Amino acid sequence: MMILINAYKSIARSKGRNILLGTIVLTIALSSGIALAIRSAADTAKELGLATQTITGSISVDRQKLMESAQSGSGSSGANDMRSAMQQYSGLSLSELQDYAVSDYVKDLYWTASSSLSAGGELEAYSTEDVSESGSGQNGAPGFAGGGRGGGFGMTMGDFSVTGYSSESAMTRFMSGQSQITDGAMFDAAASDYNCLISNELAVFNGLSVGSKIILTNPNHEEETYTFTVVGIYTNASSDTESGQLRFGTANDPANLICVSFLTLNTLAEQSAAAAITETDENGRETTSAISLQTAGTYVFGSKNDYDSFGEELRSKGLSEYYSLSSSDVNSYESSIVPLENLSGFATTLLIIILAVGAVILIVLNIFNIRERKYEVGVLTAIGIKKAKVAAQFVMELLVVTLIATVIGTGIGAIASVPISNNLLETQVKAQESAQTTQEQNFGRPGGGGFGGMAPENAEGSGQAVEYVDSINASVNINILLQLIGVGILLTILSSMAGVVFVLRYDPLRILANRA
Amino acid sequence: MSILSLQSIGFSYAKGQKILHELSYEFGKGKVYAIIGRSGAGKTTLLSLLSGLVSPTEGSILFDGKDVRKIDRYKYRSHYVGVIFQQFNLLPHLTAVENVELSIRASGKKISEKRKLALELLEKVGLDDELAKRRILKLSGGEQQRVAIARALSYDPDIILADEPTGNLDLTTQDEIMGIFTRLAHEENKCVIIVSHSPEVARSVDDIYELAPLKSKKEIFRTGEVNAHRS
Repeated sequence: MMILINAYKSIARSKGRNILLGTIVLTIALSSGIALAIRSAADTAKELGLATQTITGSISVDRQKLMESAQSGSGSSGANDMRSAMQQYSGLSLSELQDYAVSDYVKDLYWTASSSLSAGGELEAYSTEDVSESGSGQNGAPGFAGGGRGGGFGMTMGDFSVTGYSSESAMTRFMSGQSQITDGAMFDAAASDYNCLISNELAVFNGLSVGSKIILTNPNHEEETYTFTVVGIYTNASSDTESGQLRFGTANDPANLICVSFLTLNTLAEQSAAAAITETDENGRETTSAISLQTAGTYVFGSKNDYDSFGEELRSKGLSEYYSLSSSDVNSYESSIVPLENLSGFATTLLIIILAVGAVILIVLNIFNIRERKYEVGVLTAIGIKKAKVAAQFVMELLVVTLIATVIGTGIGAIASVPISNNLLETQVKAQESAQTTQEQNFGRPGGGGFGGMAPENAEGSGQAVEYVDSINASVNINILLQLIGVGILLTILSSMAGVVFVLRYDPLRILANRA
Repeated sequence: MSILSLQSIGFSYAKGQKILHELSYEFGKGKVYAIIGRSGAGKTTLLSLLSGLVSPTEGSILFDGKDVRKIDRYKYRSHYVGVIFQQFNLLPHLTAVENVELSIRASGKKISEKRKLALELLEKVGLDDELAKRRILKLSGGEQQRVAIARALSYDPDIILADEPTGNLDLTTQDEIMGIFTRLAHEENKCVIIVSHSPEVARSVDDIYELAPLKSKKEIFRTGEVNAHRS
């Protein structure tokens, strides 16, 4: 009790000294509070961002690894090794994808199959290049994307890209708004009825409407024709068609994408296989005219943890190391939080510096403080108060001042942290966007988009610019308050220790004698 | 019977400088004692020894028959001995009454109305309520001396030690202060020991011990035998 009363009186009577001390602690608490709030908000934003996102992922061939493997092999015939490795590790088949989908971590699996077909009958592929030639009735697209080429069937590419969707979930371009049905309706994903969706450009180009029939042919075997019914017409987002990218062949133009159900495309492939012509060239390589499908599956996960666990499960199920599980959601999110992570790192560094400098200042200040109060120590011990109690009183004074200053500093920090952190984040986002713009100017693609993967969906549009997280809700919560109080107590104890050592070393008689 | 007894004590600083040698004094209750001597004779050192701030390097000091070295010296200082320092040694950031209260709290004695007791003590030494609530630096030297006396009395010690209590005071105030000490000894049965070089102080005490400075390490100027004079 005596310690508390003495401490209170000392604080109340030595306002100047305690205001100075409190101001320093307040500054430390304020800066630490802001740094902790930014750090905590950045971490929360990172966690919440992924928690609220459905994560999709796909298994693709890890070309980098294949190349490394081929290079580390014999060395002399790298290209051939590479080629054979690529052939060995092509995309996974649908049945393999479905086998891996039998997992507790996977919520859903949807897939798309894509193929390339040529125009048949009156139909012409949409092309902005050399319209007059297209209008002359030439069959096939400009460039090397024409109809059948000599010397086997394997390499030919049709005028249209036909994508079959397993379910509505698979139609990501319609889900995301990249494409929108403007006339007619969506085909039935569960039917093999040769119904299709075509783009608005293609419809206008050929004078087609809902209910029109279109004929597509096998680019390897033009006599093999398939008739589709247009049930809907969609428009692509403007950025999709005007991205200005050089397209090799009309099939790559989003306007020439024909969407059907997977079952339709699969039936078509089966029919084509039944009617296929097989040839063997002079090298003994066997080629077939059958339409081949490239399948890409997308797994849906409930959480990032499930996604990570599935990646591990794939290895335990024996998936080759040359395949990897990747997620554009995770990748794009990780890119979007780069400014946040920079901010968080900055806040951590700031916090460490503040605490280190703060600790030194407090220790020095406290030593000066005790030296200045040497006489008081002498008097108190001379009238019979034990040194330990005197030291405890001094620590108590410091603790009270520190706690009050910490609470005030945290309060101001709570108010200041939101605008300060958003301001800092804005600076970070601007720096990041500036870097991205430079990258775009230099390489003609957005920095965050990455190169197209193996999934056909990626081939349909260019990579999207990263939407950076540009606002965080940095606020001082009870955790931060406790952390700050902890920091305050720690700093107090640390700085008091030096003072306590001084108090314990003092000899009251010497102090009083020196003063006399 | 003596309450405080010096048994052939001596004191030397760590460097070897001998200040006191073979002193044997007896102090009893109900009397005012003066320890007199010239500057450098070791008066303040003797007072520090009596107050338990330092221990003798030779001999021993007995309080109520017990060696002070063996009892808790913080308790000794806060319960049994009240010291009035030459420089008063009051805390300037506190008021007069708060200084006295602090001393009561330091003793740990269970006194319910500490403020009331402190005010009574201050009144006893001639300080009214108005002066009692002033901070130390707002008081005169004589008033500060009275606060120091009130503080020394706050926990009702058996022994009062005063170092040059009249040193900076005018004659009237000196008389008043000495009157307080005499009352404490004669009416309240305290043992009052005053360290002073003032002849006026020597005249108003019951017993006097005279200290003389040691001339050298080997030559003992004074053996410490009782050299009492009645004033």
